[in-house]
Amino acid sequence: MSNNRVTGKLLTAAAVAALAAGALTACGSSSTGSSSGESKEASSMYTWITNENDRAQWQAFVDAAKKKDPAFNLTLEGPSFNDYWTKVKTRLSSSGAPCIITTQAARAQELKDLTVPLDDMVKSNNMDVSMYNKAMIDGLTVDGSLRGIPYDAEPVVLYYNKDLLAAAGVQEPTTNYTTSKFAADLKALTKDGVMGLAVPPGFGSGPGLPMAFANGNEPVKDGKLDLTNQGLVKDQQFAFDLVAKEKLGNAPQASDGTDVPEQQFMSGKAAMIIDGPWMYDTLTTKTQGKVGIAVIPSTSGESVGMIQGSAFAIGASCKDKEAAFKNIMKITTPEVIGAVGAARGTVPSVESAVKDWAGTKPAADVAVVQALLKSGRPLVTTPSWNQVETNFTQYSGEGFRGTKTAQELLSTIMNSAK
Amino acid sequence: MTALPTLAVKDGVKRPAASSGHGRLAVAYLAPGMLGFLIFIVLPLVASLVISMFDWPLFGTPKFVGLDNYIRMLTGDPVFWTVLGNTLFFAVCYTVFNLVAALGVAVWLHSLGSWGPFFRVLFFIPVVTPMVANALVWRLMLTDDGVINSFLATLGIHGPSWLSDSGLAMGSLIAMSVWQGIGYNIIVLGAGLNAISPNLLEAARIDGAGAWQRFFRVVLPMLSPSLFFCTVMTIIGSFKVFTQPYLLTLGGPGDSTNTIVLYLYRNGFSFDKLGYASALAWALFVIVMLITALQFSQQKRLVNYDN
Repeated sequence: MSNNRVTGKLLTAAAVAALAAGALTACGSSSTGSSSGESKEASSMYTWITNENDRAQWQAFVDAAKKKDPAFNLTLEGPSFNDYWTKVKTRLSSSGAPCIITTQAARAQELKDLTVPLDDMVKSNNMDVSMYNKAMIDGLTVDGSLRGIPYDAEPVVLYYNKDLLAAAGVQEPTTNYTTSKFAADLKALTKDGVMGLAVPPGFGSGPGLPMAFANGNEPVKDGKLDLTNQGLVKDQQFAFDLVAKEKLGNAPQASDGTDVPEQQFMSGKAAMIIDGPWMYDTLTTKTQGKVGIAVIPSTSGESVGMIQGSAFAIGASCKDKEAAFKNIMKITTPEVIGAVGAARGTVPSVESAVKDWAGTKPAADVAVVQALLKSGRPLVTTPSWNQVETNFTQYSGEGFRGTKTAQELLSTIMNSAK
Repeated sequence: MTALPTLAVKDGVKRPAASSGHGRLAVAYLAPGMLGFLIFIVLPLVASLVISMFDWPLFGTPKFVGLDNYIRMLTGDPVFWTVLGNTLFFAVCYTVFNLVAALGVAVWLHSLGSWGPFFRVLFFIPVVTPMVANALVWRLMLTDDGVINSFLATLGIHGPSWLSDSGLAMGSLIAMSVWQGIGYNIIVLGAGLNAISPNLLEAARIDGAGAWQRFFRVVLPMLSPSLFFCTVMTIIGSFKVFTQPYLLTLGGPGDSTNTIVLYLYRNGFSFDKLGYASALAWALFVIVMLITALQFSQQKRLVNYDN
């Protein structure tokens, strides 16, 4: 036998072995074959898992659903929240993508090509969507069709450090809070190395947009970006000025996540912070000093809540949509949502479950959230919202340092995100 | 067993004669590499060229737009010119600082004798440390209340906002990048210094050349091939800068640290503009090709090869 033939046979054998290994691997990752008869993807969820806290929250949904259906399970995968909105698009375009994804009312427009309308499945499964928070259902409705079943409805609130307020002689704000009183309070609180307000660089995470919302000014009108409406510009400039002119907070860096201002607040270096109720447990238990919540300040004191809830949706590439929807139904019952609200602090999207979330929380705090839920409107956005958020985060440093005005920044962002 | 192929003799050296059997074997050996090159280099290159002529959201129907993406890039997108300017500024500053510092350190290490390798390893550590880890550590050091400003405070100096001040942010990125990348050039230039014959330097000394004359008249010309290699590689690398602005500044404040690759990444994967991102990628490719070609065209004039 020649050397060439030996080599040729070896190469052939190696190629066959590689193909066989590939085939076996492919079979191993086959999308079918789950014991329950549904595809593996139908019981898989792509979501944000920034830390163990997130993982525990998703696990709380599974655990609560298991009480009714012990065979229920949901496998999880996903990146951190900040990376999620970029990576979900590429993950869903790859093979074997999970069927269930998490979305938000604020991202429903942006992810509309990734998600399927749920109306027919809602109808055929006799699901009562009227029990869910109306603002969330409105926010999740794209071009007339529902794109997700909400599990929470979280109006952004103002957290304050009670001890620091008491030390500065500032009265605790409640369900009525004017911007003039807010600015005066921040001035009184900014002393001895403590800043009045902790500020993140993002748009939705505030403080400008939630305050604009509180005044009834929204960033989208008739489905189009409306960042330069004078109400929104004025409110954003007010937020910039609190930092740039009044020096009542530290100007954020573009690369700061929301964790940086949260750390400032929790360590007692900032007296107030605007954040979501999803941070309630963390901020009330880990902060130096007692923490209370109030509505977002507005010119009149009456505040429109900016509802930032999330939902479960089905990816457009899902081959077993019906099974995926049935799994979503299991984790969005009032019982499950209430149990998760009680265990993890997410404000339920179902009104009847809000009492589970309220639990032993102070009545004043519950009243604030309920008032904002009542007045709340969803943060409806456009398909280019990720660009708005990204650019705002990048540019906001100039606004908070006073080198650019809100008008200039918002105009630039709106032009680039058209 | 068949006989071995006839050996051809040329220049007194025996070489295996070409045969169809050997040819097939060569193809078989080369095939995996070539296949990888075709699939992972050539195909994406061609695909990106095609995609650059489409308005292509990741999800949704691609629409052929011809050269519109290129026209928009050159005439309708002010951010492109800003990021191009930033990238050029970064490339020039980074390359100059890196090469000058690497040359100085390499010469210093060469003079240390047996301690040289120890310090060479120290300077090389940042090169093999993951860029992400380095960037995060630098971010912590450069924050307003980070280590650097805390140290300055002990001297009674109020430190600036290194990453939030548009006048300082790019400089901070360059400093961090030089720290990260200098070790590689130190190794290459060190090897070049080791290759210079001591006889040449000794001859120059006997001829009365001083230290600076020996450096500029003997060491630098003999080191020019290594310097040329370092310059080409450093410039190419500097045009691809991404991790530092992505992790330290997100391109901000404003667009002061936004670079072509960061802008390209965002357009492609955050803003769903795959076609425009591909056009940006081709613009970067053409710029790097032109600069590299220019460097090679000057190679004979600037580089002194021993032979």
